[in-house]
Amino acid sequence: MKTLKAILVAVMATFALTSCTYNTLVEQEEGVTRAWADVEAQYQRRADLIPNLVNTVKGYAAHESETLEAVVNARTKATQITVDPENLTPEKLQEFQAAQGEVSQALGRLIAITENYPDLKANEQFSELQAQLEGTENRIAESRRLYNEAVQTYNTSVRKFPNNIWAMIFSFDKKTPFAAEAGAAKAPEVQF
Amino acid sequence: MRRTLTFLISVIATVVLMAATYTPDNLPIPYLQDRTQYVSNPDGLLSQTAVDSLNLWLGEMEKTHGVQTVLAVVERIEGGETYDFCMALGRKYGIGRKEQNSGLIILLSTGDRAYTILTGRGLEGTLPDAICKRIENYQMLPALREGDWDTAMLNAVRAITTYVDGDDSLVGSSDFDDSDTGALIGFIICMALGLGIIFFALWYDERRKSYCPSCKQYKMKKISGYTTRNKRLGIRTHHDTYRCSHCYFTKELHWDENLNSGNGAAAAGGALGGSFFGGGGRSFGGSFGGGSFGGGGASGRF
Repeated sequence: MKTLKAILVAVMATFALTSCTYNTLVEQEEGVTRAWADVEAQYQRRADLIPNLVNTVKGYAAHESETLEAVVNARTKATQITVDPENLTPEKLQEFQAAQGEVSQALGRLIAITENYPDLKANEQFSELQAQLEGTENRIAESRRLYNEAVQTYNTSVRKFPNNIWAMIFSFDKKTPFAAEAGAAKAPEVQF
Repeated sequence: MRRTLTFLISVIATVVLMAATYTPDNLPIPYLQDRTQYVSNPDGLLSQTAVDSLNLWLGEMEKTHGVQTVLAVVERIEGGETYDFCMALGRKYGIGRKEQNSGLIILLSTGDRAYTILTGRGLEGTLPDAICKRIENYQMLPALREGDWDTAMLNAVRAITTYVDGDDSLVGSSDFDDSDTGALIGFIICMALGLGIIFFALWYDERRKSYCPSCKQYKMKKISGYTTRNKRLGIRTHHDTYRCSHCYFTKELHWDENLNSGNGAAAAGGALGGSFFGGGGRSFGGSFGGGSFGGGGASGRF
């Protein structure tokens, strides 16, 4: 009878512990998914801004078609890559980041050439577009920071004892954070 | 000797320069002590008149639309990047109400010649980046180039108010009035409690004096009394004679009165009331609601 009681208590304790750990892991995984959705939304916001920006610049600097085309092409390529949060492998993330990094670089070059066109710089619409672009780059940086924070919290949970046992049973895998890249995903310098 | 002097001067210069450099951690936020003060003007770059007007408008904006603002004008910030400074400030204090994320930070660093209007996540629709930029270009820049910080800030806030007023989806903070009334109610309760304690002490003192040890009834009345003074100790001694109206038992009561602080019980009651009053007063300070910033707004240099 005593043994039975002890076993019962042990089983109940295990269940209590498991459900608690399990729920925490689910919540934190959801946090990562949410943060990732925000990252994608902010990159999409930048992509939406590009046609307008390109058209405005075209009006003043039509013969810079090479630079303009580079931006458009990089944008097209980047918007084709979407990453399912369920499938956030390091390779996928790398691919995503590389494509977006190309957009950043192309945009950086575009902004750099606008320095040569005082009329364009004085254009109110361009100034506001530039402000929107800068704000979007800021938002991207912030959403990436929050994503990395969520990933770190989740990964720490998954690796801690005894959570790691339950994580193994329910297959909660480690997630990949953004790596700080050398220049590729760096926000273009927007000078006023 | 000259070398020492140069060294000393450079040290002093460094200290003076350091003193005027703010970080998000050491920037004074007067709002926390007094909820009517939205402007942080530690270097005195804005005139008192401008600060008063700004506080009034920003207070109105919080009351009617729940937009919680911190406006700071400083000489210099660490790093010189106003955007990073504002983000760190927003993260540290959670400016803006949590439900609608309606925080707003306006920073001007005159020494760095840089400024930022940072909008909370919930304000990005009301004040899009392009609008913030337009406000900066048209309302602030001309005055900033003249070094007229007052006009730049007054114009910017006036323009922002127009946009915020046009957005009905932003609701005034209900807790703004509630906690005001709450503080008032708290204050009244504390005052009543303090007064109650004083009156109870006085009443208890009287009742104790009227207790007749012979017939155990509260029927003693004072029939005569005189006082003696001891100037050296600063006390006055009362010698009172009480007689019971029931059994005619008489007793003498001798009690000392401190000439410096009056009746002991009343003094204690007063002190209690006073400390309660202090507690009530403190709650007039503001608190930030935990709003978050996603990086919206616009920055610039002049």
